[in-house]
Order: sequence, then structure tokens, then C-alpha cells
Amino acid sequence: MTNLAQLFFDAASLGGLYAMAALGIALIFGVMNLVNFAHGEYIAFCVFALIVPSTDAVAMMFLGRAPALVLILVVLALGGLIAVASEYAVFRHLRRADPVAMMIASFALGFVIRNALLAAYGGRPKAISLWPGLNTPVNIAGASVPLLQLIVIVTTLLVVTGLALLLKKTRIGLEMRAAAENFTMARLLGVRANRVITGAFALSGALAAAVALIMATQTGVADVKMGGQIMLVAFIATVLGGLGSLPGAVAAGFMVGIVSVVLQAWLPLDARPFRDAFLYTLVIVCLLLRPQGLFVPASAKPRV
Amino acid sequence: MSKLGVFDISVRYGKVPAVNDLTLHVTEGERVFVSGPNGAGKSSLLKAISGAVATSHGRIEMDGDLLTGCAPEAIARLGLSMVPEGREIFGALTVEENLRVGTGLRRDASAVEEDIADIYDSFPILGERRGAAAGALSGGQQQMLAIGRALMTNPKLIMVDEPSLGLAPKIVDQVYDTLCALQEERGLTLLIVEQSSLRAARVGGRMVLMRGGRIVGEGNAADMADRDALAAAYFGNSPTETEATT
Amino acid sequence: MQSQHTSNRIAAYSTPVVLAVLLLGFVVLVALFGDKALARTMAETLVRVVLVVSLWIFVGNSGVINFGHAGYMAIGAYCSAWLTLKPQSKALFLPDLPDWLMQAQWPVFPAAIAGGLLAAFIALLSGAAILRLSGIAASIATFAFLAIVNTVYSNWEGVTGATSSVVGLPRYVNQWVALGWAVAAIFAANLYANSASGLALRATREDEVAARASGIDMYRHRLLSLVISGFFTGVSGALLGHSIGVLNPDSFYLGITFISLAMLVVGGIGSLSGAVMGVLLLSLLIELLVRAEQGMAIGTTHFALPSGSQEILIGMAMILVLIVRPNGVTAGKEFKLKPQWLRQSRLDSAKSTN
Repeated sequence: MTNLAQLFFDAASLGGLYAMAALGIALIFGVMNLVNFAHGEYIAFCVFALIVPSTDAVAMMFLGRAPALVLILVVLALGGLIAVASEYAVFRHLRRADPVAMMIASFALGFVIRNALLAAYGGRPKAISLWPGLNTPVNIAGASVPLLQLIVIVTTLLVVTGLALLLKKTRIGLEMRAAAENFTMARLLGVRANRVITGAFALSGALAAAVALIMATQTGVADVKMGGQIMLVAFIATVLGGLGSLPGAVAAGFMVGIVSVVLQAWLPLDARPFRDAFLYTLVIVCLLLRPQGLFVPASAKPRV
Repeated sequence: MSKLGVFDISVRYGKVPAVNDLTLHVTEGERVFVSGPNGAGKSSLLKAISGAVATSHGRIEMDGDLLTGCAPEAIARLGLSMVPEGREIFGALTVEENLRVGTGLRRDASAVEEDIADIYDSFPILGERRGAAAGALSGGQQQMLAIGRALMTNPKLIMVDEPSLGLAPKIVDQVYDTLCALQEERGLTLLIVEQSSLRAARVGGRMVLMRGGRIVGEGNAADMADRDALAAAYFGNSPTETEATT
Repeated sequence: MQSQHTSNRIAAYSTPVVLAVLLLGFVVLVALFGDKALARTMAETLVRVVLVVSLWIFVGNSGVINFGHAGYMAIGAYCSAWLTLKPQSKALFLPDLPDWLMQAQWPVFPAAIAGGLLAAFIALLSGAAILRLSGIAASIATFAFLAIVNTVYSNWEGVTGATSSVVGLPRYVNQWVALGWAVAAIFAANLYANSASGLALRATREDEVAARASGIDMYRHRLLSLVISGFFTGVSGALLGHSIGVLNPDSFYLGITFISLAMLVVGGIGSLSGAVMGVLLLSLLIELLVRAEQGMAIGTTHFALPSGSQEILIGMAMILVLIVRPNGVTAGKEFKLKPQWLRQSRLDSAKSTN
């Protein structure tokens, strides 16, 4: 029983993290058909923004020393800023290019950001301690759960509800949903393309920042590679959820989180290091069974 | 007074020309049908006017404002609205949300609510299903929604691309009745792509015949329908006879 | 008409000859200089030519972006290492290898072929699944494949040495060996592109729906091109291992995926000449930037680019090319020879038909 409760909290918090990352990718794909490979680097960028740029082995907190509220707001803003800036510098000039060219450009942009971080901070992962108190375990339903896991679960719920409300109740949300479905038609009705795209990038970057804060607290490490792995999982969740479907991305993000926690718990010891290999194989199988995604939007048109 | 002026425009997709040096004028309050065979460039003409595709040559004006080179959203703001081919409603949005997408450019919040109420008056079925996903509507209802949605931007000129496509004749009658009533009521200018010249003749207005990206004939829709102009356009006889009739 | 067709055919087959002569010219030039460091750079560049040309065999003909190629490279590289390393060092570093593999000590050439064949076989298996998808889903699935290979090779302690490097590979790949394989890959790529399957596949690249409607079995052609591509990618992995002498799973991950795609995109995905030109151009740029990072003395002052600027500038160059010249520097055109006698006969036939 204890075990099961533990498993539940692990799965829910990991799934929540994946769901947030997937949302960030799905938002941009929905609005401009861009598979944004730079998303992982937005996450890494936000983590590194916490510490002083230097190639020393020991990390000095920079933003990380600010009071929590300021820190959170500034990091969210930074995430939004780098995403908007990348749209302005790169993707804006590729609006008329085909999705493959945009995808490759985002891959290149990610490479640039990653190497800029490497140049500024050095290649070795650095230990950082952001709110270490949050990793103290709390007893719930017989399971010992780090406070942070609870915070992650609650944050995910808040972010997902907040985003849902924003999309459902505000003008810009309506425009984003309309643009995600049929961008040209939305523009023909006077929806401003630049406003919607900038909005989507800002939101996506802020989601990356939220993921970054959680990962930094959870792992206590700043590593240039940390964005890459979660981005891959997030992509997979986005594709599984049906590209462009926001609820699909959330559901698939949770699903991937649950499956990886379950695999970790139930795989024989020898096979555990290969967990991700099993996970990705499952993903390919899922794609083969339902190439249009597991949770397809009701309006999905067959894409020719 | 000329509401819409299209001067000598060309549209190309890569190397394939769709519209060639076409000139067309539409007067305020007029109803103009664009007819012609498949691939004549009718839809491309509408897309070029609305800014959805770029022109390679020529210029387009509305009320003296230059439209060429403007983004579609800027053109919409100048008072041009479009009911595209295949309706292109937002299927995942509710009926009411579909209507509201086009109101972002308006500053008159109370008038927006009145307009929505008006549309529900004209199309009671849309009012009944205002909370339903628009993708669940029937084809005819979607066409009504697309028209209602186009009205919500408060346009002076509406372009309608093939409103009869895929609809039963009875529904088509209804669609045209609505369009004409709206035109009357609001003093709209209409530019309609309609394959069937008989239909255009029955509704009435001016008709422009296109073939190979050019205008090959022009006249009163009722007269044009009987003429062999159509045969000429469809079967490729010399267009000179047709031009002589105009 | 007949002769124009023949002339076009011959012109199409002249592309690899032009490219091979171009590469040979570079190698001879480098050999004449007799500079060791330069020869090493040349060998590395030619290994990249093998890699990017094999990438082109699939991506250029099918139009589907493949992120999984570094995986096939790793497979080929480790296979060749298993077959050529001394049994003693294998017993030490890779204790879980099966006995026959542990004892194997093959000559290098068959080992490279075996590496290619294993990669081709894995390409067949993975492609059979992944290529049922299309467009973006397929690209993402290839990315998942790359991650699978990386996870397996980074954790399979007794067989791949996991994240600790495998060392002691015989370093036999010099510029001549690399040139031989580069030319072989170029000819194979050209032969495939002009075969019935290659032409059919390129038709699907232009218009998937129309090609399918005209009865082209896209899946089969894509799979065939992936298998051929997998073979040469595997070989390129083996060559890379035997040119630097050390293997590590992370040398076959995002970095090389990025560089090879960058080369393909900068040169132009649409043509074989583009693939080769992309490698040459970016390799030159990399070499210049590496030297600039090491610093140079101008007058009495020492200038050096900060380290890392190489990758950053290459990434920017790639973005710039995508924005300014989306079809790459060759814009999908091939280098071709039109021999004089062919042009003459075409004129004659044109006259006779008039």
C-alpha cells in the first residue's frame, strides 16, 4: 500500500513536469506548426540564470539568492523573454518556410544557445541549492513524499488550470485557439498574427522557466544537458497527444511520466538502466498504432 | 463610386500562373458574381484581394486604401471580410466563440453583443447551439455560421467563395436569401464566386466570367446565363465573341 | 529525343565523377603539402563526406528529416571495434562479449563492411516500423530511435564499455582510405538516386499524395533508401572510430547529428553535390574557426576567439542559410558534365526533327 502511494506521488509529479514541458511545445506547434527543438535549451537557460556566469566548478548563486517571489517572477519573465527573442530573431523570418526548415532552424538555435551556455558556464554540471528545504520528506498516506513533489503536483494543476482559463476566457486565448486551428482564417478575421505568435512564445518560454525551477530544486544540479532529455520526452508527449492538441499534450505528458515511473519500479534490476530505451520503444509502438496521436482533437482533419 | 478596384493583378504559385493581369471594379452596394470553370483563378482572385496570397504584379484598392502588400489582418481591419471556400469554421471552438474571433478589431463592445443577438435572430439554430462545438453543425448550419462570423468584423465588403459547394439546393436558396437580405439591411457590397450561372441569374446581379486567370466576359447575370458565353468559357471557344456581347 | 534522353542520363551519371575528381584533387594537394595535421583534417572531412552523403541517400531522396543517423553510426563503429580490437583488451574492457566475438580479430576492411551491414540490418528493422509514419511524426520517431541507441550503448557496460571510452582501435583511416569510401558512397548515392526506386522516391518528395495516387509504394522505396543509407552511415561510424582511435556513445549523439544536418542543409538537401559541398564548406569554416579559437598573432597582439564560438557561429551560419537561401548553396542543382559530342548530337537531332 505504502509502495503504491509512493508510486502515485512519483508518477504524478514526474508526469506533471512532463506535461508542462509538453504544453510549452504544443502551444507553439499549434500556432505556427513549428517543432521547437530549442525548447530544452530555454529550460537550461533558465536554470543557469540562477547562478553567476563563470566556468568555476563551484556555482555562485546569482538570481538564486533573490527572495522566492521575485526569483520566480524574474525567471518566468526571462523564460518568456528568450522565447520571444528567438521568435523575433529566427522564426519570424521563416514564417513562409516549410515546417521542416523551421524544425531544422530551431535545432540550430538550440545548438547555439547550448554552446553559448557552455562557453559562459563551462561544461561540468554544477551543484546548486535552490530551496533545499523543499526536499524534506513529509508523510502522507504512509508514503514519505518530499514537499517538492507535492508542490510540483499542485503547481502543475495550477498551471494547467490557469492556462485552460486563459485560453478559454480571454481574448488572446480565443485568438490562440482559433489560430491553432486555422491560422490563415483567423488572420482573415482580423486576428493579429504577430500578437498571437508572440503571446504563444511568451507563454511557452514561461512554461519552460517553470520546468527549469522545478528541475533545479529537485536535482540540485545545473547541467547544460538537462534540457535535452526532458525536451525529448516532451516532444514525444506532444506527438502522442496529437500534435497541436493542448489537452492531449497534458494527458500524454502525465501518461509518459506514469509509464516511466512504473517501468522504473517494475523492471528487473538489470534492465533498469535501459528504462528510457523501453520508454521510447513504447512510444514508437504507440505512434504506429495511432499515428494521429492518442488524444486527437475533435476537429482533427485528416492531414494529407 | 468604386468600392473595390483591382488593377492589372497577377498571382502565381511558383511558376504556375493563376491570375493574369486581371482588372475588376466593384461599385458600392453592388452584387458581383465571379463564375468560370475549375482552375479559372476565381478563388485565387479572392485570396489575393483578402491578402491570403501575394500578388506578383498590379495593385488592389478599397475605398482608396491600397490593399496590396498588406497582411490579411490589416485588410480585415479596413472592412473586408471573407467567407472562404469550404467554410473553414473553427471546429473545436463553440458556435459563439467562432462568432467572437472576428470581433478583436472592434472597439464597440455593446454593439458586438447586439450583433451577436442579431445573428441569433437571423439564424435561430445558431442561437440554440451557441455552446456546441462548431464542428458538430451540419454543412448548411456551418455555412450560416461562416456568414455570421464574417459579419461580426463589421465589414463593408464581404467576399463569399462558392457558398453552394456541397449543400442541398434548398439550403443554397436559404443561404442566398440570407445574403441578399443582409446586403439590403446593411448596405453591404458582395463579391461572390459561384460556379452555377443559373444560380447567379436567379439571384441577380452583375456577372464576371473568368477563364485561364483572365476575365473573358462580363454582363448582367440574367443575360449572361442564356448566352453561349458560358459554353465558350467552358469549352474553350474563342473568347472574342463573348467579349463582343458585353 | 532519344539522344537528348541519353545525354541527360549520361550527364546525370557524370555528377559522381565530377565530385570524385574534386575530392581527389584536394587529397593530392594535401599529399603534396605533406603536412600531417592537414592530412588528418582531410581524412576527418572525407569521413564526414561519407556520413553526409549517406544521410543524403535517405533525406535527400525522401524529404523526411532523419535525426537517427548518429545511431546507425554508433552501431557501425562499435561493431567494427568488436571485430578488430585485440582479444586481450576486449577481455579487459568488454568482458560480456560473446566468446566468438571476443576471439575475433578481423582485418579492418571486412570489419568496416560488417559494421555497415549491421547498421543496414538495424536500419531495416527500425525503418520497417518508423517509416510507416509520415512527416513530423516520422522525424520525431527517428529522434526516439537515436535516444534508444544512445541509452543502450551508454549503459551496456560489458559490451560497449558504457560511458567509459573504448580505446586502442587501430587507426588505419588516413585520407586515402577515407577518400576510397567517400567515392564509393558518392557513386552508390548517385546510382540509387537514378535508379527506378530513387526516382520514384523523389517523386514522393515533391508530392506525396500524387505519387501515391500513381501507384508508388512509398514505404518500400523509403525503406530501401534507408537501408542503403544505413549501410554507409555504419561504415562512416567505423571510419570515424578508426580515425580517432577512441569510441564513446556521446560522440554519436546530438553534436554529430547537428553537424551532419547542418552540412546537408547548408549545401542543399536537394542534391548530392549539395551534400558534398556542404561538408567541404562547413569543414573549412570549422577548421578556420578552430584555428581562430587557438588564436593568432597579428603584429604583436594575440587574438583568439573565445572557445565555443566555433559551434555558435556554425549554428548561426546554418540559421542564416535557412533564412536567406532555404535550398542551400547549390539550391538543389547537381554538378554535371555535358560532353561536347553529346551536345553536338543533340543539336543535330533537334535540327532533323525540325
